[in-house]
Amino acid sequence: MVEDQDMSVREAAAVMQDARIRARHEFVISAPAVYTAWGLVWLLGYGAMWLSVRGQHPYRSPSGVSIAAVFVLAAFAVAAVLIVAHRAVAGVGGRSARRRTTILVTWATGYLILLVVQTAISGSVSVRTLAFVDFAGPLLLAGLVYLVAAVLGANRPALALGGWLVLVAVSCAWLAPAAMLATCALAGGGAFLLIAAAEARIGRHAG
Amino acid sequence: MPAEHGLDPVIHGQVRLRVMVTLAALPAGDDLSFTRLQEVLGLTPGNLISHLRKLEEAGYVTTARSGGGVTGRTSVSLSQQGRQALDRYMADLRELLDSAGAAARRP
Repeated sequence: MVEDQDMSVREAAAVMQDARIRARHEFVISAPAVYTAWGLVWLLGYGAMWLSVRGQHPYRSPSGVSIAAVFVLAAFAVAAVLIVAHRAVAGVGGRSARRRTTILVTWATGYLILLVVQTAISGSVSVRTLAFVDFAGPLLLAGLVYLVAAVLGANRPALALGGWLVLVAVSCAWLAPAAMLATCALAGGGAFLLIAAAEARIGRHAG
Repeated sequence: MPAEHGLDPVIHGQVRLRVMVTLAALPAGDDLSFTRLQEVLGLTPGNLISHLRKLEEAGYVTTARSGGGVTGRTSVSLSQQGRQALDRYMADLRELLDSAGAAARRP
């Protein structure tokens, strides 16, 4: 490219605007896409589990199909997040990369601990306690990870979402299993979708 | 002409301006690999190196090499001084555009 020291003030402004738009397109992870993907997992996945237990008296467990639906939706969400993030983080190092690693390690460690606890208590606690660990546990973990992400990145929407998810998960301790699923689906998934809409709105105004 | 506008001549060039704006889009404390910067800007390695050298001499960017051989990575980041210089450049540019607009509106 030929260097143009003689470019006019207007040309410089146009070059700067163009470079700014390009950089935003290249490096910004679409927060609305990430929140929407996880919101749908909670809303549809947990919603399906809730529908499968709604008529159970007494409560037994969600149907195999609805549990499988949660895993399939979660796999799609992980794939969507990886696709969205891959381009934005390629070649970017430094503080953001260390922050991403910390968040990922926190989430993976928390999930591992949750799996170990689920396995350990599965035969020795009441159905309601087990339902709390199985259904509200992942939501509590997601909330705590968002709080960690918010503290590391001074991100207000993540702080609001993390705080809300923790609150919703803790409130499930007072609920019956079917109500837990409905609460996680609506208050958890709904919060993700609400934050996605808010972030999209903020992005439109900023753009 | 740069001297006439009073704009920073180190930044006031298409490629260097794009390099500075691209690096400024990253949060403070982040760096970008040379190859990604080259890909984003669509430049040849030689062209990018020559402009980075000018920016580095002015203290606006820093480059660092980690690792060796084919797996080595050269990273480029905007220095604090560079961020301040770009802010100044943008303020000067805005002022010039405003005064040009005001002059055009004058009867």
